[in-house]
Amino acid sequence: MKKVDLSIDFLGVHCENPFFLSSSPVCHNYEMISKAFDAGWGGVFYKTVGVFIADECSPRFDTHRKEGTPFIGFKNMEQISEYSWQENAEIIKKLKKDYPTKVMGVSIMGSNEEEWALLAREMTKAGADILELNFSCPQMTSHAMGSDVGQNTELVEKYTRIVCENTHVPVIAKMTPNITHIEVPSIAAKKGGAAAVSAINTIKSICGIDVENMCGRPVVNGVSSISGYSGAAVKPIALRFIAQLKQHPELQGFPVSGIGGVETWQDAVEFLLLGAENIQVTTAVMQYGYRIVEDLKEGLAFFMEEHGYTSLRDFIGKAVPNIIPCENLDRSFQIVPKIDYDKCVGCGRCYTSCFDGSHQAIDWDADKHRPTITDRCVGCHLCLNVCPVKDCITPGEIKFKKGKEAHEVKIQHDFDYLP
Amino acid sequence: MTQVRKLAYGEKSEPAYDVRLAMQEAARCLLCIDAPCSQDCPVGTNPSKFIRSIRFRNFKGAAKTIRENNILGASCGKICPQERLCEKGCSRCGIDKPIQIGRLQSFAMEQEKIFGMKVLEKAPSCGKKVACIGAGPSSLGAAAELAKRGVAVTIFDENKEPGGLLRYGITPSRLDDATIDQDIAAIKELGVTFEQNHKVSREEVAELAKKFDAVYVGVGLSTSKVLKFVKGWDKQGVDTALNFLKNARVKNGQIGDLGKVVIIGGGDVAMDCASTAKQLGAKSVNVVFIETMEEMPASKKELDYITELGVPVLPFFKPLEIKGESKVEAISFASMDDESQVTFKADTVIFAVGQAPTEGFADLKQDGNIFLGGDMVVSRGRTVVESVQSGKEAAFAIADFLKI
Repeated sequence: MKKVDLSIDFLGVHCENPFFLSSSPVCHNYEMISKAFDAGWGGVFYKTVGVFIADECSPRFDTHRKEGTPFIGFKNMEQISEYSWQENAEIIKKLKKDYPTKVMGVSIMGSNEEEWALLAREMTKAGADILELNFSCPQMTSHAMGSDVGQNTELVEKYTRIVCENTHVPVIAKMTPNITHIEVPSIAAKKGGAAAVSAINTIKSICGIDVENMCGRPVVNGVSSISGYSGAAVKPIALRFIAQLKQHPELQGFPVSGIGGVETWQDAVEFLLLGAENIQVTTAVMQYGYRIVEDLKEGLAFFMEEHGYTSLRDFIGKAVPNIIPCENLDRSFQIVPKIDYDKCVGCGRCYTSCFDGSHQAIDWDADKHRPTITDRCVGCHLCLNVCPVKDCITPGEIKFKKGKEAHEVKIQHDFDYLP
Repeated sequence: MTQVRKLAYGEKSEPAYDVRLAMQEAARCLLCIDAPCSQDCPVGTNPSKFIRSIRFRNFKGAAKTIRENNILGASCGKICPQERLCEKGCSRCGIDKPIQIGRLQSFAMEQEKIFGMKVLEKAPSCGKKVACIGAGPSSLGAAAELAKRGVAVTIFDENKEPGGLLRYGITPSRLDDATIDQDIAAIKELGVTFEQNHKVSREEVAELAKKFDAVYVGVGLSTSKVLKFVKGWDKQGVDTALNFLKNARVKNGQIGDLGKVVIIGGGDVAMDCASTAKQLGAKSVNVVFIETMEEMPASKKELDYITELGVPVLPFFKPLEIKGESKVEAISFASMDDESQVTFKADTVIFAVGQAPTEGFADLKQDGNIFLGGDMVVSRGRTVVESVQSGKEAAFAIADFLKI
């Protein structure tokens, strides 16, 4: 493989690659972050520093499982740093000295104007390359902090402005998804002087109930709380928020750092295609360790080589114009699936789902265990999505609706697409 | 009734993973720290790294990890006895069953082919040239390692196609030509040249040693042993394992009627002979060996494979006499404790009782710029992967000798 350049200048800060640890349990001290840097991460957003010092509960994590797979969603009740801002400043200084080429983003959170100003000044002094404002932690023990602030545009703008007045480094506002329109507080942050936003922080959740204790999980002495949900399961929600940020007229050209369920380089490419210029990861690191950055970087490099890209900017944002309102979709055709009977194992999943969940458009030959797609097919592709055999049911004939003129139609690639 | 599997000659014995199946298997991997699988490979392949790459959808990276380390990565994925190497240590054994590392390796190497990846590139010349005798696993391993250091390597080999034992001593159901060719192509990418149909005699070794800066002799154990204490060993219808397998491969299975076949030996080569005979339509196939089931040298995978094909095995019996006029008609055995005797009707008897050095090379010693390796001196016919490692090590010694 040729050497592919994964570097990017993000907010004027040179990053050797776009992969950063997000502000979270994975980066709260020197040993962790030095190990992560050695493993190849381009930078970190240091776990949120506050004047407030967190007092944590036990247990504090829970998972959302799916049969036979590692967990797909993760619930976290940890708040911000357990160390004083002075202790954190010392750690940040040492990291900046020992790893001068890595990017030290520092997440901060105040509960009033004075605290925000103090943290901005002190973390800048400690050597932060970027300040990220945590307006979005959904499990703070104080309503003057976290996602309650992030839902209040006045506070977002005010606190952003105060931070910007107290630092010379770029400022990113980290947004909460626990809101209908993430663009609104993001515009407020921009007005306050933020150089970018990062999205999304975790989603308020209850992962599950302990039915014997009749209590949400994790069970903290018989009770539990709503708190932030993350991991692979939230990626679709994160992508949606990022697309909305990139498409808003008042946010054109306003950079975004993407967060939410990134495990593989392919996930990262999806965020980049929707316009993210930086990728933040936590849950996959909690699950698998810092080492995942090896495959993130190598996989991304192979992807770029394959497509002839020489820089991340060659493809960042390329999918943004292709997310359009529902009312603008071309509804003139139906793509009828085709079944490869050499591959079909005769399980009947397509038939069951089509009958019970769609348009009863698959006939079932009970003797031969063979499905046949009929004229009732509306081209919904439920069968294709439930079929367990790779490339058995694929997009087939394109039928144009009555009175519609035939034209070229782009076909979706299989998720497990390989050339 | 037990169902016996039917498999045509050359038909793949194991379906390849597609991407979904590979992801499912990779997701079973525990992604261990200090993974035991990565400590048990004779050639130092790092399965934990390439499985992790698969798990995180970096398929090309997985192929790169394998190819950089093992020049016969595609072939080894298919034929290594993983259950006694990498899979033996798999932590997942403590839960249910080990990760199918060989099949994941084959999946990864398939990506190399699909994407037309060229993992290894020709190195700048170091001005030295080395001859490798034999185009089997150890010689290929040595040649690749030397070529990576900029040595101009020429391989001399008696067969029509390179691969040695890979191509002529293993059934194509387990290892097809396309897979061998993929590995050979990677070696050619490194700039190694092949002189096929060139049988190097013992005398020619000295000549080559003058023409080249060094010579690597990796001619292996190309002669099958025959147990001459068995009366009637020279009758018509008696064959040796390697001869039988090679003949079948060269003629693509068109080797005439085998009739009833008895195979003597309990190693992987004997298992390959048994499956081949079965696939070629033998009336019956029996495998008899002197070891107990616990001691038999064949890998469990190979034993299971012939069992699936309906071949019975008889452990703990030694051959006594091959009967018949000029042609084989029957063969008798006695149990190792001499308690019982058994006679099989037979038209073909195949000795698969180990191999001997290639004719004329048995007493060759390492001397001056002549280096030895592979089955002949180190790996002793154990596994392909051990031969590759032996070739690699010889290449390191040659590199030291040439001061490169």
